[in-house]
Amino acid sequence: MSTETSALQQSNLLRRVWAKPYGRISITFILLIALSALFADWIAPFDPNELDTENIFSRPKGKHYFGTDDLGRDLFSRVLHGGQIALIMAFASAAIAMIVGVIWGFIAAQFGGWLDEILMRTVDAFLAIPIILLALILIAALGTDIPILALVIGLILAPATARIARSSVLSELQLDYCNAATTLGTPRLRILFREVMPNTMPVLIARAVICAADTIIIEASLSFVGLGINPPQASWGSLVRTGYEQLFNGYWLVLFPAIFILLAIWSLNSLGDQILDVLDPRSES
Amino acid sequence: MRRLGTSVTMLFTASLLIFVVLRVLPGDPVTILLGPGNRGIGEEDIQEYRAKMGLDKPLLVQYFIWFSNFLRGDMGNSLFSNEPVRNMFSGHIMPTVQLTLAAIVLAIVFAISLALVGAIWPRSLVDRVVTFIASLGMAVPTFITAIILLLTFGIFWPILPTRGYIPFGEDPIGNLKLLTMPAITLAFAAMAPILRMLRASLAEASSSPWTRTAEGKGLLWNRIVLKHVFPNALIPSLTFVGITFGRMLGGAVLIEFIFAWPGIGTMMVDAIFKRDYAVLQATILFAAIASITVNFIVDLAYGFVDPRLRLKA
Repeated sequence: MSTETSALQQSNLLRRVWAKPYGRISITFILLIALSALFADWIAPFDPNELDTENIFSRPKGKHYFGTDDLGRDLFSRVLHGGQIALIMAFASAAIAMIVGVIWGFIAAQFGGWLDEILMRTVDAFLAIPIILLALILIAALGTDIPILALVIGLILAPATARIARSSVLSELQLDYCNAATTLGTPRLRILFREVMPNTMPVLIARAVICAADTIIIEASLSFVGLGINPPQASWGSLVRTGYEQLFNGYWLVLFPAIFILLAIWSLNSLGDQILDVLDPRSES
Repeated sequence: MRRLGTSVTMLFTASLLIFVVLRVLPGDPVTILLGPGNRGIGEEDIQEYRAKMGLDKPLLVQYFIWFSNFLRGDMGNSLFSNEPVRNMFSGHIMPTVQLTLAAIVLAIVFAISLALVGAIWPRSLVDRVVTFIASLGMAVPTFITAIILLLTFGIFWPILPTRGYIPFGEDPIGNLKLLTMPAITLAFAAMAPILRMLRASLAEASSSPWTRTAEGKGLLWNRIVLKHVFPNALIPSLTFVGITFGRMLGGAVLIEFIFAWPGIGTMMVDAIFKRDYAVLQATILFAAIASITVNFIVDLAYGFVDPRLRLKA
């Protein structure tokens, strides 16, 4: 399969997801959130860390769209800047999870035998440990800088990715075109990267989208417990944490960051589902 | 028997993994224990302490000592209070067990009733609402559900106490009132995957030949769903209860923390902030063992319900 056809296949994939109502809604939300985070410096009416002691716990009104917090900081600006962290983290962790997981899964699928056995038993062992617990412990020990957070979350999501990558490669390798390529004497690695990989792409893209959603959940959970991004830096999780501490002083403090987290995760999950749905031949009818 | 073998292998790999991961982490237990920069503690004292705790032995030996002690019920002592971790566990286990059991029962009841409603009136508005709830349940992190419940029933319409715990033995009604919000939160998270699976298998069973035969006989649709489709769809969903269990254990940690529920989760968050690795190691291994065991039991139950799936010995 040449690269042009696989590019065609992918634009086709996007078009077919866009054709579904849920697909369209989730892509729109993702774009809106990503753009608002990218251009936060221009859109946000205030500096996210600017204190305004005259206006603490201001309700959502006038120039403070989402109200202000215990130090008079503008919540709308803080939520937008928190989106930047979510965006960076989601990209970085999903990339790490995909790179590590795909290599892990491809090696297991390609070589089989005892290597496959060892690699997959390790995956099983990882999956037996609840993800959040593993993340909590690793972050507690390694520290809470953004690169470390991204690396740890990416590595935690890698084992499940490896399993998906392995099974998608295995199901392709059984198909006739792979047998044909082998018969023609094509080197195994060439078959893997030039023939099999483009066909597993859609499944892997769907997994990457889900990884991005999981990253946002894990980061927010960690920050909420106080082990993620530290205040005063605004991340969605730490904003919810502040809101939770000030629950009786203003509902908006917890409400708006929570809505952003929900929207982001829901639309990413739903996009992942839609991609898998499009791939499923049974969904044609 | 083969399944037991798989579970035991998994148990060993998982425990080895936990041990290795926690040992590679920065933060030497001895230095933490004796306190950094303590005067009067020389290199010999540290060596002596290491020897006393068995930290000078090769890693693999340490692992076997740790794991075999764990299996015999000796989980080591807290690095902080020197209290046996086992005692700390027994002090915290009941609230967690109560919370998890309540949540799993609620989750199964919610999932089954919602899925049935969706299957009896397919493609209706109700069905769409159920689909939406399922996808929402997958997306909402537990701490957000918790906060939404807190806002609704604790502040806007204050009918439930927000945080705390009273043992059931002392005040059953007070205990149940406090249990309501954390249990619903955890149940909501646990329900979504079960509901999705159940819906998928209900849909598959609805389009099967024997459903068409039943329809052809002139049976009422909701009767067909209840008597024919549902029992068949239930079996594949059973596995998901097992898979969800691991997710629940993770979710329970945050939920206990939010609602000040003094279970294993609260103990763990506490240990994290104190960097008490002995407690952490024990907790995480306990969680892994619990989820492996539940999955094993579910596997067995699976073979019991559907004899076709029993592995040939």
